Amino acid sequence: MGWEEKQVRGYSEFVRTAQHYHGRPIFALFCGDKDAEGKSWCPDCVTAEPVVRKELHNMPDESVFIYCLVGDRAYWKDPNNEFRKNLKLTAVPTLLKYGTPQKLVEEECFKAELVRMLFTED
Amino acid sequence: MKHFVIHQSCHSLELERGIFLLGEGSQRHSIHLPSIMCMCSLHNGEGAQKLQEGQWHVTAEGSQPFGFVQEEQIEEDEKTLKAYKEGSLQKQQEMNGHTVVPHSYDYDLIVIGGGSGGLAAAKEAAKYEKKVMVLDFVTPTPLGNSWGLGGTCVNVGCIPKKLMHQAALLGQALQDSRKFGWQFPEEVKHNWMTMTESVQNYVGSLNWGYRVALREKKVTYENAYGEFVGPHTVKATNKRGVEKLYTAERFLIATGERPRYLGIPGDKEYCISSDDLFSLPYCPGKTLVVGASYVALECAGFLAGVGLDVTVMVRSILLRGFDQDMANKIGEYMEEHGINFIREFVPIKVEQIKEGTPGILKVTSKSTKGNEIIEGEYNTVLLAIGRDACTRKIGLDKVGVIINEKTGKIPVNDKEQTNVPYIYAIGDILQDKLELTPVAIQAGRLLVRRLYAGATTKCDYVNVPTTVFTPLEYGACGYTEEAAVEKFGEENIEVYHSHFWPLEWTVPSRDNNKCYAKIICNIQDSERVIGFHVLGPNAGEVTQGFAAAMKCGITKEQLDNTIGIHPVCAEIFTTLTVTKRSGENTLLSGC
Repeated sequence: MGWEEKQVRGYSEFVRTAQHYHGRPIFALFCGDKDAEGKSWCPDCVTAEPVVRKELHNMPDESVFIYCLVGDRAYWKDPNNEFRKNLKLTAVPTLLKYGTPQKLVEEECFKAELVRMLFTED
Repeated sequence: MKHFVIHQSCHSLELERGIFLLGEGSQRHSIHLPSIMCMCSLHNGEGAQKLQEGQWHVTAEGSQPFGFVQEEQIEEDEKTLKAYKEGSLQKQQEMNGHTVVPHSYDYDLIVIGGGSGGLAAAKEAAKYEKKVMVLDFVTPTPLGNSWGLGGTCVNVGCIPKKLMHQAALLGQALQDSRKFGWQFPEEVKHNWMTMTESVQNYVGSLNWGYRVALREKKVTYENAYGEFVGPHTVKATNKRGVEKLYTAERFLIATGERPRYLGIPGDKEYCISSDDLFSLPYCPGKTLVVGASYVALECAGFLAGVGLDVTVMVRSILLRGFDQDMANKIGEYMEEHGINFIREFVPIKVEQIKEGTPGILKVTSKSTKGNEIIEGEYNTVLLAIGRDACTRKIGLDKVGVIINEKTGKIPVNDKEQTNVPYIYAIGDILQDKLELTPVAIQAGRLLVRRLYAGATTKCDYVNVPTTVFTPLEYGACGYTEEAAVEKFGEENIEVYHSHFWPLEWTVPSRDNNKCYAKIICNIQDSERVIGFHVLGPNAGEVTQGFAAAMKCGITKEQLDNTIGIHPVCAEIFTTLTVTKRSGENTLLSGC
């Protein structure tokens, strides 16, 4: 079946989508919002996204890749935003395997080897 | 079928069954190639001599030069021989990226065991740009349980143990808090699953963290069972049974230990061990803990602390090897706090009365002092009678590493070297060394620095502090009273001691005069503090600082000259006056 991608924005949409695909391997990449030209306010996210996308084919069959825009810079900087509180995210970009403690944060997302390891690890 | 081409590159050769000795002089090393078909191209082109599987004997006269090339996939003998004669084989190998140098190994260092010691050593070696591999594999428990990278401490030892101990302490704190004004319903319940999930989540993040760290440091990690198959060679078998061979210049054995079973009917089928407890997917219920080790007492402690009915079955003494004066106080405290002790009995049979999670088990036990038999029913039986080194099934005989046949432990010199010069060992498997994570880590790091960074510092195993996380915590550093008496003579040591009552325990009316402090001093050496013992809250935090002081050689006088911090438990050590010798009362009144 391969894998599929879902693009979401904001915490509620993320949670709804993740719950919808419960039972399948779910990987999520959290990035800062993009402007009208499609550029994120988060420079590390700009670097990480193509690296991650290049490794997506390594995800196991039936995987769901959720590409999630978290919000604008001000929202993200708020220490009480839902991503920080509920998902325990500490930074963007974060790439994680939903429901497990496995994640890569910031510069870790720049390394294709680590991204591949996250996607293929049991 | 792998074809290993052995071709000319060095001078002398000896051949025995399956053992090829290559190289010259001190560069010689032997390669043992078990079930592999081998082909030899002889130097003077006399023709290929095919060795059948299992048949090793090859007649070789004079100086038949041989070299060793790995995993060269070559289909036909004739083709190879032709290529060799034409000198193109070497080129082909070089083109394929195979090194033709006879003495090159796959790795500088292969570490067998990805626990506290192994990982610390591997990461350190990578710092010096060495090519390192870590082989870590967890043989599932009899009940099928397994875990990720990190070894015992991270997965089924120190980390989950301390977290569950904390869960129990918090339960106690909740009760204490009422007297400090907190108001909440009479009954406060504990949820085993919530605790276990939180603990496992943290452990999982550590497993992942190690994976990332190794990858970032370019340490090759394989989740595979490593065993020696011949000199400088290990076989790694993954969980799917796929085998690979690797060679290295040096090896580090850090395989650790696993819980021992009783060897009685029903033990492996129905009993659990610490390997299972910290991820048990159901509340253990009424539990029988068999054993008197610190593992047994710590587990019994937190299980009771989260509200379970716990019984500890002890064959003889508590905490063998620890200061017995302190061990008995620990046992007394546990008994006074609702943990049942059955002393001088051993289980002889475990039967399942009812299946379930948990089910009901019937345990039949026999007295060690007579013929009395007793029976008891429990939901869970936790065996904590000791741990055995994982050294018997890793092919040590194939490389000649000597182990203590009785205990399985490996004797090493003060450089952690086994009797085989290129094979080292660290951690719990070492004979006569403390089985502690920080000891393994320190030994591993220093060993690697000596090997690759020209350092000379050896691991200092003297005055290593330790803490037992029983309900009443026990911190210690240096000599037990028994060992001090034996080494120095009773008349040459002075034992200062006192009970103390933590301030935080006063308001909630918790035990006074249960917490206890003791130091042992060497009279002939300026009353140097050679033993430190504390029973009380935060014992580990208290002990760490004093361990550093002892490393600096602190004397009783210096201790007395240190002004205490008030009001904390540790200050008692700055005001000890009563000696055991005097026989005076050590019960304290308030400050």
